Amino acid sequence: MTGRARARSRGRGRGQEPAAPGAVKAAKPVMAPSSEGQLVGRGRQKPAPGAMSEEAMLQISAGFQQVKIGERGGRRRDFHDSGVHTRQLMEHVKESKTGVSGTAIELRANFMRLLSRPLWALYQYHVDFKPPMESRRLRSALLFQHEETLGKAHTFDGAILFLPNKLHNAETVLCSETRNGEKVEITVTLTNELPPSSPVCLQFYNIMFRRILRILNMQQIGRHYYNPDDPFNIPQHRLTIWPGFVTTILQYESSIMLCTDVSHKVLRSETVLDFMYNLRQQCGDQRFPEACTKELVGLIILTKYNNKTYRIDDIAWDHTPNNTFKKGDTEISFKNYFKTQYGLDITDGNQVLLVSHVKRLGPSGRPPPGPAMLVPEFCYLTGLTDKMRADFNIMKDLASHTRLSPEQRESRINRLISNINRNADVQNELTTWGLSFENRLLSLNGRVLPSERIIQGGRAYEYNPWTADWTKEMRGLPLISCMSLDNWLMFYTRRNAEVAQSLLQTLNKVSGPLGIRMQRAVMIEYEDRQESLLRALQQNVARETQMVVVILPTNRKDKYDCVKKYLCVDCPTPSQCVVSRTISKPQALMTVATKIALQMNCKMGGELWSVEIPLRQLMIVGIDCYHDTAAGKRSIGALVASLNQGMSRWFSKCVLQNRGQEIIDALKGSLQAALKAYLKYNNSLPSRIIVYRDGVGDGMLQSVVDYEVPQIMQSIKTMGQDYETDLNILDDIGVGKLSRNFYSGSELNPSIETADFYSLLNLLSLRYDFFIVSQAVRFGCVAPTHYNVVFDNSGLKPDHMQRLTYKLCHMYYNWQGIVRVPAPCQYAHKLAFLVGQSIHKEPNMNLDDFLYYL
Amino acid sequence: MTTPFSPPLYMQRYQFVIDYVKTYRPKKVIDFGCAECCLLKKLKFHRNGIQLLVGVDINSVVLLKRMHTLAPLVSDYLQPSDGPLTIELYQGSVTEREPCTRGFDLVTCVELIEHLELVEVERFTEVVFGYMAPGAVIVSTPNAEFNPLLPGLRGFRNYDHKFEWTRAEFQTWANRVCQEHGYSVYFTGVGEAVGHWRDVGFCTQIAVFQRINQPMSNAERLEPSVYKLVYRVVYPSLCDNNIYQRTLVSEVLYEAQHLRQEWLRRMNMDCNNNAHFFAPPLMEVFHHGVQADARDWQPVYQQGSTICVPLARVWSSPRVRALCGSVQRLREELVVDARVRMSADGTVLNLPVYDDVEEEPEEEKDEEEDVKTVSGIGNNMEEDWDRELESCGNA
Repeated sequence: MTGRARARSRGRGRGQEPAAPGAVKAAKPVMAPSSEGQLVGRGRQKPAPGAMSEEAMLQISAGFQQVKIGERGGRRRDFHDSGVHTRQLMEHVKESKTGVSGTAIELRANFMRLLSRPLWALYQYHVDFKPPMESRRLRSALLFQHEETLGKAHTFDGAILFLPNKLHNAETVLCSETRNGEKVEITVTLTNELPPSSPVCLQFYNIMFRRILRILNMQQIGRHYYNPDDPFNIPQHRLTIWPGFVTTILQYESSIMLCTDVSHKVLRSETVLDFMYNLRQQCGDQRFPEACTKELVGLIILTKYNNKTYRIDDIAWDHTPNNTFKKGDTEISFKNYFKTQYGLDITDGNQVLLVSHVKRLGPSGRPPPGPAMLVPEFCYLTGLTDKMRADFNIMKDLASHTRLSPEQRESRINRLISNINRNADVQNELTTWGLSFENRLLSLNGRVLPSERIIQGGRAYEYNPWTADWTKEMRGLPLISCMSLDNWLMFYTRRNAEVAQSLLQTLNKVSGPLGIRMQRAVMIEYEDRQESLLRALQQNVARETQMVVVILPTNRKDKYDCVKKYLCVDCPTPSQCVVSRTISKPQALMTVATKIALQMNCKMGGELWSVEIPLRQLMIVGIDCYHDTAAGKRSIGALVASLNQGMSRWFSKCVLQNRGQEIIDALKGSLQAALKAYLKYNNSLPSRIIVYRDGVGDGMLQSVVDYEVPQIMQSIKTMGQDYETDLNILDDIGVGKLSRNFYSGSELNPSIETADFYSLLNLLSLRYDFFIVSQAVRFGCVAPTHYNVVFDNSGLKPDHMQRLTYKLCHMYYNWQGIVRVPAPCQYAHKLAFLVGQSIHKEPNMNLDDFLYYL
Repeated sequence: MTTPFSPPLYMQRYQFVIDYVKTYRPKKVIDFGCAECCLLKKLKFHRNGIQLLVGVDINSVVLLKRMHTLAPLVSDYLQPSDGPLTIELYQGSVTEREPCTRGFDLVTCVELIEHLELVEVERFTEVVFGYMAPGAVIVSTPNAEFNPLLPGLRGFRNYDHKFEWTRAEFQTWANRVCQEHGYSVYFTGVGEAVGHWRDVGFCTQIAVFQRINQPMSNAERLEPSVYKLVYRVVYPSLCDNNIYQRTLVSEVLYEAQHLRQEWLRRMNMDCNNNAHFFAPPLMEVFHHGVQADARDWQPVYQQGSTICVPLARVWSSPRVRALCGSVQRLREELVVDARVRMSADGTVLNLPVYDDVEEEPEEEKDEEEDVKTVSGIGNNMEEDWDRELESCGNA
């Protein structure tokens, strides 16, 4: 497998991969004539003078089709899946991919149509200078001496010119003069007429839209734009919150859409130096370096003298502003540099400097210029620290401003639209390009799916679709199957002895109605230290122990990790950790204990409830991955497969990805193991397999289609020569980067998000896909989950595919309600997360048949 | 053409203007021929009290392209400056009279006049010195006597130069200007030659004119009538009342909250590290211990469910002091603000003792809430998708 495919499928290293040829070229310009094949990269931007041949120039222009305008200067690029056309391969959805079940509902989504005048096209010209000019700025200055010929609207990147109007001739020769009086002949040649939907145009729209936001006096921070004029402050922590927008322009169906969502930026009017002073005061000189590193590393800062953001990677304890760095040919101290360059005085000459490893490429695609040294006094903190996140008051204040009701959200977006349509400068910009935005949100037709019936203990019941939760309905009903607790342990610290006792009593009380037989647990006290907890576990957990309950005094991660590590790897036993705080409130204890009892039952192999699945011999597979930070960036893949008709028993496997390996390669073995387990349980192999592959980012779809699908097919084949099965593979792109929010047409109900199912008007015509909103949200808007069927040889009707997916959203046993994604995805996610966060090792295979990670 | 100067000559010219601004602290500065707005961008950082910064260029395309580099930075919003700053860019010609350009403290014309025809220089002189009559003018232009030292140079330094003056020519012009319009002038420059070439003078010659008469009174700003406004931005500053109020209140609340936290922490330590309970306020102890101390050091204390932070304590924070001239002013500002709770006499800020505790989400809802039945598939109808599929395939 090539490095490129790997980068694509992992979604990392975006924008770096194609840089390689450019970087090489910049270093060795002499190679240029012989390396035409490589010219697609970034190196074309600033070739050494004279090194660029006529042919090379032609190549460059042709190559531009695949390269985005925004890529210049090493910025990240947006990936599009626009080339992924899977639908044409699936006979049964060629005609229609819409479902039929349910009642119609009108929805509004956060999309606006971009309108262009009829027969609109973007004209792409290649611009050639004779003699060749090195500087891009000069090239652009020379070209725009001819504005009367070219028109007011133009975009030029140094070699390629875009115009909204066609020039009179296909080739226009212009003459300019440099400041030095040198005559330059400029040839402008038409190379392409781009229809509104071409990928280059999409890039162009996005760039233009950014310009528009800037005209509207929005500030760019990172990749998004925020409005500085109406901030919200939380003085206690010097927080300032700016409202803003995340936007992108994409093609959906036949129209170009602006997808925009409200976003907020948390800024702090506190410099890193202020922060350091406070910290030193709090923790003393001794512990300061350690605490400082812990608090600061990883934070994003914003510099005072430009709008750049950096991630703090390290602290240079041996550097102060009096240190010097090389600027051009001379050494200059940081102190003097900021004084002369920006008129900024450094008040504390002893502050240590911050280090950021800049990944951004240097000018003209050169490798990064090395780590940036930053002066704390000139760096503002951004975002929230973990400490703040844990502070309920801050989060409450924040939530009151950032959590918006559907109406508020809609009105914010509408305000943006009206600003766009009212602002004369913006309109001017748009009309010179012959474009405009529709001034209302996109309306869509969705369907509300009928709610499912939950089957439990020989009975079936319905739930309230507006809350999508059946905690109340299941009270008093026995579970499908219960594991009796005969031999189990409860660990607690001395301080929590009392709560442990009351938990035990309450568990006993609630387990009866659920149908769980429960013996008294063996109570074991441990000292509040990690080593003594581990020792207690080692001494007491035996082979026949069915369940271990540990009451943790705080929600500190290390003890939790220690318990899980030991009981998932070394001594495979289902375990349940509870933070003492959760069970310290007597009035909530019944509810909590019920949840704990349910969870313990699942972990030992019990089954809670089910929904009707009208397909037989079916195996559902869920796949997700987690990118581990602690284990040296080893990614973790988890696979979960159903073992029975009711989707109540699951086989789970987790693998750690090896370097240079595709996650799916590692999971192939797991899939085979799952099929074997299915065979063991059912005495037959499944005749139909449906795979839900989560964790696919935008832009990775192609690699899933090209690489993962054949891998899955192949591993199924290994189960036997004649074994054939129907296979569906769905990717659920957990609508990550930009959510598509829906607002219900009915104004009456502010919390419209319910157990509903909206299949949207085939948003992407070339794929077989659908959107589902399964979860209920109490507050705010809901982002639907987007499902793409990338492979289907089963012929299952779209309606059934959608309903089955919806049914599976009911089957997550850690939540007595409907979840956002199908249960297998949620399980796989939970497993991968547990392993990635706490265990960092492959769990013991004795646990494979249990939902031990819940 | 490479010039052997370090830092580069254009930088030295900008630095010259910056140094001038630093010394004379003009409030209103106009830069003619600002082109890519480099000087304006520098002056925006080296503000030294500039309140109005105007750039004029005849080419609006270049202004449009570069104008956003003059926009405030995020940090300008996070910590608004004390003084106001407005930046405006105009498209217009230096040979035209524009009423809104009158009454400036400083006009800079960096490498501008040599781009004008000599006739236009006359008009420019009349407009700038006669009509606008600013407090000071900085004019820089190439020194033709230096040209032989520039390697490979034939003719003028730039194709667009209409002339390049010797020192004598420049000074003749300048002296005439002074006579006619009532200015004094001194000559200097940047970019010195080395060794025996020294006597050719600076590479760039600079004339600094000072108005002899009282500078024009700060006339009210007029709307431009001849020039075209291309860009205008008002920087956030503490002179804006809303921003001032917001900044001050934030600062006060930050300080007060910190005092409160500190007090709570101390209270907690007093009762044996038990994080869950606060000791009854040890008010007397504090009062006694403190009153003897300095008079303005007043203790934080608890009264019922409020913690009282004396205004004087908040006032002692340097950041608050910097924002507010006096305690009286501080009090007046805070009394009118809804975000601050003050005692009746305005000497104490009231803050709650307890943070709101996390409320458990309402678990128990009305039992009566009826379960809505949803439309759709009949409750008892059993589905079989397998069979449907088969029948579909057969048909």
